[in-house]
Amino acid sequence: MNTMMRWFGVAVIVFIAAPLVIVVPMSFSTASSLQFPPPGYWLGYYADYFSDPSWLRPTWNSLFIATCVTLLTMALVVPATFALVRHKFWGKGIANLMMMMPMAVPHIVMAVGYYSVLGQWRLVHTHLGVILAHTCLSVPITFLVLSANLKGFDQTLERAARSLGASPIQTFIHVTLPILRPGLFISALFAFIQSFDETVVAIFISGRDAETLPRKMFDSIRQEADPVIAVISSLLFLVVLIALVAPHVARTVRRVIADRRVTPTISAE
Amino acid sequence: MSSYLRLSGINKTYGDFVALDNVNLDVAKGEFVTFLGPSGSGKTTTLMIIAGFEQATRGSVEIEGVSLSGLDPQDRNIGIVFQNYALFPHKTAADNVYFPLQMRGVKRAEGLKKAQAMLELVGLEGFAHRYPKELSGGQQQRVALARALVFEPDLLLLDEPLGALDKNLREQMQIEIKRIQRKLGVTTIFVTHDQTEAMSMSDRIVVFSKGNIEQSGPPLDIYHRPTTRFVADFIGESNLIPGHIANAAEGVVESPVLGTCRYLTNGQPSVSNGDEVAVVIRPEHMKLSRNPIEGRSNARMTIDTIVNYGDNALVIGHAGEQPIRVRVLGADVVILHEGDECCFSWTDDAVFLVTS
Amino acid sequence: MNRLISRVSEQKTLWPWLLLLPLTAYLIVFFAIPLGQVALMSVTEPHVGLENYEKVLTGSLYRKVFINTFMTAGLVTVCCLLVGYPLAYLMAHTSDRRAMLILLLITMSFWTSFLVRTYAWMVLLGNNGPIIWLFTAVGIADPPHLLFTRFSSTLAMVHILAPYMIMNIYSVMKKIDPALIRSAESMGARGFSLFRHVYLPLTAPGIANGSVLVFVICLGFYVTPVLLGSPREQMAAGLIGHQIEEFLAFGLASAMAIVLLTITLAVLAVYHRRFGLDRLWG
Repeated sequence: MNTMMRWFGVAVIVFIAAPLVIVVPMSFSTASSLQFPPPGYWLGYYADYFSDPSWLRPTWNSLFIATCVTLLTMALVVPATFALVRHKFWGKGIANLMMMMPMAVPHIVMAVGYYSVLGQWRLVHTHLGVILAHTCLSVPITFLVLSANLKGFDQTLERAARSLGASPIQTFIHVTLPILRPGLFISALFAFIQSFDETVVAIFISGRDAETLPRKMFDSIRQEADPVIAVISSLLFLVVLIALVAPHVARTVRRVIADRRVTPTISAE
Repeated sequence: MSSYLRLSGINKTYGDFVALDNVNLDVAKGEFVTFLGPSGSGKTTTLMIIAGFEQATRGSVEIEGVSLSGLDPQDRNIGIVFQNYALFPHKTAADNVYFPLQMRGVKRAEGLKKAQAMLELVGLEGFAHRYPKELSGGQQQRVALARALVFEPDLLLLDEPLGALDKNLREQMQIEIKRIQRKLGVTTIFVTHDQTEAMSMSDRIVVFSKGNIEQSGPPLDIYHRPTTRFVADFIGESNLIPGHIANAAEGVVESPVLGTCRYLTNGQPSVSNGDEVAVVIRPEHMKLSRNPIEGRSNARMTIDTIVNYGDNALVIGHAGEQPIRVRVLGADVVILHEGDECCFSWTDDAVFLVTS
Repeated sequence: MNRLISRVSEQKTLWPWLLLLPLTAYLIVFFAIPLGQVALMSVTEPHVGLENYEKVLTGSLYRKVFINTFMTAGLVTVCCLLVGYPLAYLMAHTSDRRAMLILLLITMSFWTSFLVRTYAWMVLLGNNGPIIWLFTAVGIADPPHLLFTRFSSTLAMVHILAPYMIMNIYSVMKKIDPALIRSAESMGARGFSLFRHVYLPLTAPGIANGSVLVFVICLGFYVTPVLLGSPREQMAAGLIGHQIEEFLAFGLASAMAIVLLTITLAVLAVYHRRFGLDRLWG
């Protein structure tokens, strides 16, 4: 039973890992279509990606749009989250539901709506249109991450600051904000990724001018399966890997440094 | 007694719920006052009203005759040590202590010097650059104390600060807090539900129950001369035995359990003949013996259980329907057996009356 | 104490709505209005009336697509469960270090854009891909056609959605007190009966969470079925997109979108009544 389970587990791990691993060798392949094992290796498609404006422009569009979405989402969600976590008031349940709704509606449904409404407002195929739509879709996940952080925040700390002579604004600047900084950063990251990865709405509303990277990839996969996609996939994969491993590395480095620091160990008790 | 801090007629209601009902209190400068009571008795609410985190529905808080009402917490100059210490996790011990000085516009170099001195006073030299999570519970406690004292507050409030510490550390911190408080002479209000803590630290204990002050006085007075049934029951162990006054002038009470029982008339609540009262005798003021002891009042009981604590033992028995608790020396316990009938005895000066 | 604080803040009712105001206004304009527009178009394009719904609900093509969507979502959910539950169990019962590594892999998969993952499956299952290559290496002369079938899109969706299932179940399993299992064992439960009567009920919330998430996401899935699936076996989202891109049939697409939305919300509502929605993503 146990060994069978273990082999099953290994099989599942291979199933999950294989697609992640396969794109990396493909990105160095000399083949012009999907072929495995690759007939040879080179860096030509990397060079293509970094020199082809039809790939670089969507990349910049995506980065620009995701950055704007992050800023706008945070500006809207941070005050709302404070209200919802810290206060009890009439209509709180409805407000909570409202924050979560964009997550419950399939993106294709929103895509139909945005295509029509933004068209009427002459915002379809513009950066602004994509930013406005994406911000809406980023609200739920950002709210979830931030509210989890805010719920864990000990409000006694704010009382302590007040008793020590800090005004409400000073308390926010010197105590609340620094302690919540990691939570704010993570929720902003979620907003960024939500926008950067969003495909369906972008397919319908971004058009040529505001074309995002996922839209370009989608079109490319559907039409010709350009090998550059393997390059972008590998690069995106690398970014995720770095983002996940970096905190571990940073912690290890910090620990090594901390160990070298000679600390007095006289106990006060 | 000159009054430094004065609470007058404080009421606090939440809708229909009365949290505080006409609380009046005077505290002298430099005094160490403990608010003692079970949870929900209003002691913490009172503290929060003094600190300015809660607004009283009625009544006023004054320090040296100046009303605090209308002042925000940050303008009251009151130091608070919270139950969970509430140290800022993103600041070192020194920066935590520097924080109130920073808020008062003190330059960093000068402020850190002061913070350093305060950390030394609480016995934490060499820990200035540690973050709260790198400190033990007792050390965090000391940082919180230093932080609440460094700006020379008019008042120090301690909200059950020792609750999270283990027993040995708690006793150590009791002594420490007392030492520091004496040294700085800061007027202090200490909130706790632990009576031994209240006994060992306070100049005066204020007992709270159901939003009221039940009794206020020096620890030994509270212990030996409880004036209400609640205080007698809550502080220490008590035998509360029903009876009625036979002769108020000479100090005689009749009780079905104790028989005719004499008491010293001074220091007792005012009673008149025929009043129903409860007779209070502390377990450690009773003695157990096989036969009645000459010169003491005696009554008989049956032993149910003996709980041994080593240096002493608690003997729980009953006289009729009335449970009786007697504390005896550890050495004496060997002659007692569960199920035995024996005599318990007391002297007149151990008897106190409380009206129900 | 907390009870008191919350009672105090309850009295100041204006302040929280002031903080909520910008977001509320934003969501009304950029969420409620577009959604309302979809509902409006479904009964006005091209003519006022219910003809779009009539087509969607009675036309054999549309019914086939919706049934197919439902079946696929169900199949993907079951597959995710079959793949995810044992793996979550292994993670919860192996050394911390190994569990961390598996978790790292799963988070990595989770965070990798699903376009990238869809593309990867195209590579894996393609006619010149490694799996076909394996088939020929083993000596099977006429390997089956894998890409652009129901099989390929289902497989890729299972791969893309399995992390949701695994993380939900794992987090529940991790919280089970081992003493509970030991005490059940001490009372004579072992093997399958221990699993059936103790472990499975304890992990049920994780299963419910994961399943609802996977099912709901799958119902509205667009990208993967469109890129990897068979054009003859479309799913609802794909058909909606198709109606707009090819025919500009906004009314019909809107009616389908509203039906899809209704089904999705119905699933979530059932879950909400049973468990409470706030737990789903928490």
